Amino acid sequence: MSQHREEHLDLCAGYALGSLDDADRRTLEAHLREGCPICAAELTRFESGAALWAGSAPPMRAPSALRKRVLDAVRAEAAATPARRGADARAIRPAPPVDRRGSWMTWGLAAAACLGAVFGALEWRNATLRGRELAAAREELARLNAQLEDERRWAAVLTAPRAVTVQLAATPDGAPNLGARATYDPETRRALVVFSNFAAPTGNDYQLWAILKSGPSSLGLIRADSTGHAVVRLADAGDPASLAAFAVSLEKEGGAPTTTAPAGPVVMVGKLGG
Amino acid sequence: MVGLTRGGFPPMTGQDQDRACIGRLLEGETDAMEELYDRHNDLLYSLVRRIVGVPSEAEDVLQETWLHAWRTAASYDPSRGSVGAWLVTMARSRAIDRIRSEGARRRARETAGATPMEASPNDPANAAAESERRERVRAALAQLSPQHQEVLDLAYFGGLSQTEIAAQLSAPLGTVKSWTRQALLRLSELVPREEWL
Repeated sequence: MSQHREEHLDLCAGYALGSLDDADRRTLEAHLREGCPICAAELTRFESGAALWAGSAPPMRAPSALRKRVLDAVRAEAAATPARRGADARAIRPAPPVDRRGSWMTWGLAAAACLGAVFGALEWRNATLRGRELAAAREELARLNAQLEDERRWAAVLTAPRAVTVQLAATPDGAPNLGARATYDPETRRALVVFSNFAAPTGNDYQLWAILKSGPSSLGLIRADSTGHAVVRLADAGDPASLAAFAVSLEKEGGAPTTTAPAGPVVMVGKLGG
Repeated sequence: MVGLTRGGFPPMTGQDQDRACIGRLLEGETDAMEELYDRHNDLLYSLVRRIVGVPSEAEDVLQETWLHAWRTAASYDPSRGSVGAWLVTMARSRAIDRIRSEGARRRARETAGATPMEASPNDPANAAAESERRERVRAALAQLSPQHQEVLDLAYFGGLSQTEIAAQLSAPLGTVKSWTRQALLRLSELVPREEWL
């Protein structure tokens, strides 16, 4: 990084006023690009100071018609582009003050070129934004449709013609206020299990099990919210020919060491078909 | 220390209100633009008239400025200054661009001596306080040395480069550079922070 020098601060002042000559401007911009923190801070201060000088202009009254003209123009633009604000708009950063000095002819040619470029860029940007907004909206719609379809499938478990609902009962090792109800659809093998008062003691986790003919099989840990409520969705609770019951055990934090047998006490059990 | 209102929250300053307006603009609320306009347009108009001179051109510049503010509200960066300073910088930049055409520059010179009018804004209570603040700022700015005032005038309102200023004042370029910095430093000392835009 080029070393910070006192004259850089003189340049910062001129830069804030947009009055630097080209060579000085290039020198300072190169220095700023290297990230000089002193100049960055001073430039901000000088820019705010420069804006104060606007207050030295003799106070004038703007025509009242201007207010209507400006606000009408803003409202018209807002109505024409209701969804224009978003991540792309936020990405725009203010350009630093640039001294666009030069001969009048150069200025005129540059201005004409810039004008064309600006209109072109605006058109391109608007088209790009519209395209991106449309693509983003379609993507969101597809995501919501998939989510809706998924919710429908889970809701269908509750109304499936062959669905079975089992109320789990606390064992002598389980607290009497524990509540759990499982609904199982043998057609799809999906199950929804709703738990209440399932806040596990510190250092423990509750674990859900499918009791199959071959033995227990872990269906995962039960993560209740702060009120002790939890809903577990099981995409495959087990083969209806084998699934005999649901059970819950109280395990050390993290669950039983194996997925085929509880290590802690079984606190609730609910048999399918009674 | 900031005093608390009965409700327990410090009262919103003009700058707080301005920042809130920017947030509302981002939500597409055009009412926020009205608030910003009523708080700042008189200053912007005075500034732009001082630069371009011709009323119709000043109005065009201001319309461009406000539309630009609406379009690029998301670009406002609080770490780089107040909303007022952001608006002033936008208006001044457009006005300077405008006078960089010989015709406009000539017309500006011809009409620079137009009689100023007292501000009479749309929200009298708000505007009275704003007008008083501006008067205090003007009084503070008037304490700058004539030399510093001249350098700032030529750069800020005239859009002249430091080389052009040096030629106009018959002063060495290095002196103009150091005057410029001293003027801005002095200016920020003279105006109390709470009076800044």
